[in-house]
Amino acid sequence: MNLQDFLSSLTKRGGGDRERTPLPDDLESAVRQVDGNVDLIGVFAASAEAAGARVRRTSGADWLTAIAGILGDLDATRICTQAAEVGFLSRARSAELSEHLRDSGMTVSTDTGDDELFSADASITGVSAAIAETGTVVCESGPNAARGASLIPPVHVAVVGAAQIIPDLCDYFEQLPGGPELPANVNLITGPSKTADIEGTLVTGVHGPGKLFIVVVATGS
Amino acid sequence: MSASTPFQQRVAAAVADKRVVRAVHLATLKKVEAREAGMDQLRDFEQIRSLAAQVKQHTLDYLPRYLEQFVEQIEGRGGAVHFAPDAEAARRIICDIATSRGLKRVVKSKSMTSEEIHLNQALEAVGLRPVETDLGEFIVQIDHDTPSHIVTPIIHKDRRQIAQAMQRELGCEYTEDPTELTMIARRHLREIFRNCDLGISGVNFGVAETGTLCICTNEGNGRLTVSRPRVHVALMGIEKVIPRMRDLPVFLKLLARSSTGQPLTVYTTLISGPKRLQDADGPEELHVVLMDAGRSDIWAGEFREVLRCIRCGACLNACPVYRNIGGHAYGSVYPGPIGALLTPLLHPAGGHEELPRASSLCGACGVACPVKIDIPDLLVRLRAQTHRSHPLAKRVAMRMWLWAMKSPLVFRLGQRLLRGLLKDGGDGWATDGPGPLRAWTQPRDLPIPPKRSFRAIWQAELSNEDKRG
Repeated sequence: MNLQDFLSSLTKRGGGDRERTPLPDDLESAVRQVDGNVDLIGVFAASAEAAGARVRRTSGADWLTAIAGILGDLDATRICTQAAEVGFLSRARSAELSEHLRDSGMTVSTDTGDDELFSADASITGVSAAIAETGTVVCESGPNAARGASLIPPVHVAVVGAAQIIPDLCDYFEQLPGGPELPANVNLITGPSKTADIEGTLVTGVHGPGKLFIVVVATGS
Repeated sequence: MSASTPFQQRVAAAVADKRVVRAVHLATLKKVEAREAGMDQLRDFEQIRSLAAQVKQHTLDYLPRYLEQFVEQIEGRGGAVHFAPDAEAARRIICDIATSRGLKRVVKSKSMTSEEIHLNQALEAVGLRPVETDLGEFIVQIDHDTPSHIVTPIIHKDRRQIAQAMQRELGCEYTEDPTELTMIARRHLREIFRNCDLGISGVNFGVAETGTLCICTNEGNGRLTVSRPRVHVALMGIEKVIPRMRDLPVFLKLLARSSTGQPLTVYTTLISGPKRLQDADGPEELHVVLMDAGRSDIWAGEFREVLRCIRCGACLNACPVYRNIGGHAYGSVYPGPIGALLTPLLHPAGGHEELPRASSLCGACGVACPVKIDIPDLLVRLRAQTHRSHPLAKRVAMRMWLWAMKSPLVFRLGQRLLRGLLKDGGDGWATDGPGPLRAWTQPRDLPIPPKRSFRAIWQAELSNEDKRG
């Protein structure tokens, strides 16, 4: 049976006199947990930390040193960087960051091919949005945004502009475009990779990054 | 306990394995607490449950329309949709995709639907060696076991068994440390991910409005499975569809909380078509296999609401029966209360009539269900449908019970009779009923009848009242 035949057979078997449930009109008033009238950075940082991410709040003046500091503490030397189409970590800022890290003695690649990603100590990416309610950062695929960049290296540093933080999960889905502009791959990332399959013991980094750092830059867009 | 049917034998074996009972007990109780704490974070989780139930029921009530929209959207984004009327068709479609393209290195992320159709055996039969990459499923696979929980597949295994399996199959050094064991699996699977060419995943939600597949995972193997290989095949039941993108948060806010207590799974992945021309990486082909395999029969009948299930596992964790017998005793891919409904409904001729009776009807599953499936009520309705499968003696006994319950006189006489017949079985319980009654009393904890019945006490008290009054 093909799909068209199946769908018409379903329509026939559905029971026309059956009572049908309407789609609820208002989802948001019950589903929304966080609105815009709170300290978004504070709520975001608390939720992200609760999920196991480490959050650094910096100003526009010292974000470069903050990132270099995180990587230095980890003894990370091979770094992949990837700018985002939107948000704080623009191409220009990403180039500035690469320059700064190279000056600190690190090997920086802006190429996110397999060789680079599988051998990197850490990756640095921009984000499309950050969600205060859940402490989530969102990475969308695109021409300059590899799916593997936030996934393959053992450490992921996500750079978030404070203005990119939206209150609630609903807000992200509400603004997603439906047409061809919808990215082929979107990842909402909430904390480091986790498993508790062995006797319920929490272990991070089973497949994705075991460490997730989120650098929130307070100025700029 | 005498064990006659295969199901009763499995239960007897499960209850006898104290180590597994203890492991499952501790793990499920922990999950019940985590779920409650997670739900309590929400302003009004009861209202969100009602909305989730309503959205899912609405989608089911208009299923043909939403499926049509879903398929159109996927195809519009360059994905291919295949329809599988049954498990055999689904297996054939997936094997054909692999063999016709010469794909050899197959990775899988966790999918209960693929367990349901025994996909791995089918892939192996055409010469492929699919690798399960979810840590729990990976251990199940190397230890030639089967999952016993729909979210945490190795809830029944302890670290010693896992350590032995890993040492034996991977040749690694023996360790019982969960972190070290996890890292050994990571290193092993990393090389496989680097070189794979076919990724097979399940789907948590399919968004009709945009043709988007939503996959919720914690480990990251799901993301690797859908982004590393050249071809991604997603297997989904027809009931997984929801109307709009904005409906997703309703379910996302409940799914992980119900499973593990997390506000969200670590990764919520939205896939809308294959890699775009300009994309830096990603699969060139996306195939969605839409599977019926008994679902439309459930859909057309009186148990439609069962299809609202989002496979969170909360009803398993909440169930005192599951907690004491574990998942394997059910003898089905889906265990626990939801499995006791789904399994006989998906396989009406599969000999699973006993499963709906493996419940104390305490109601904990219904309370835990994030989409408000009235599991206890459906279990009773399903029992009623299968009562003809009971042995004749039991049906006669039940008739007599009905008769006694309807007539005060017969009830009183029966009570008196049973007080004489039900004796202490030696352990303080009336396990040793007379004649055919033994089959009922033996596997159950029935207290020895008290010396005086409630009715007798009540009568005596009333006459005392009269005297005092």
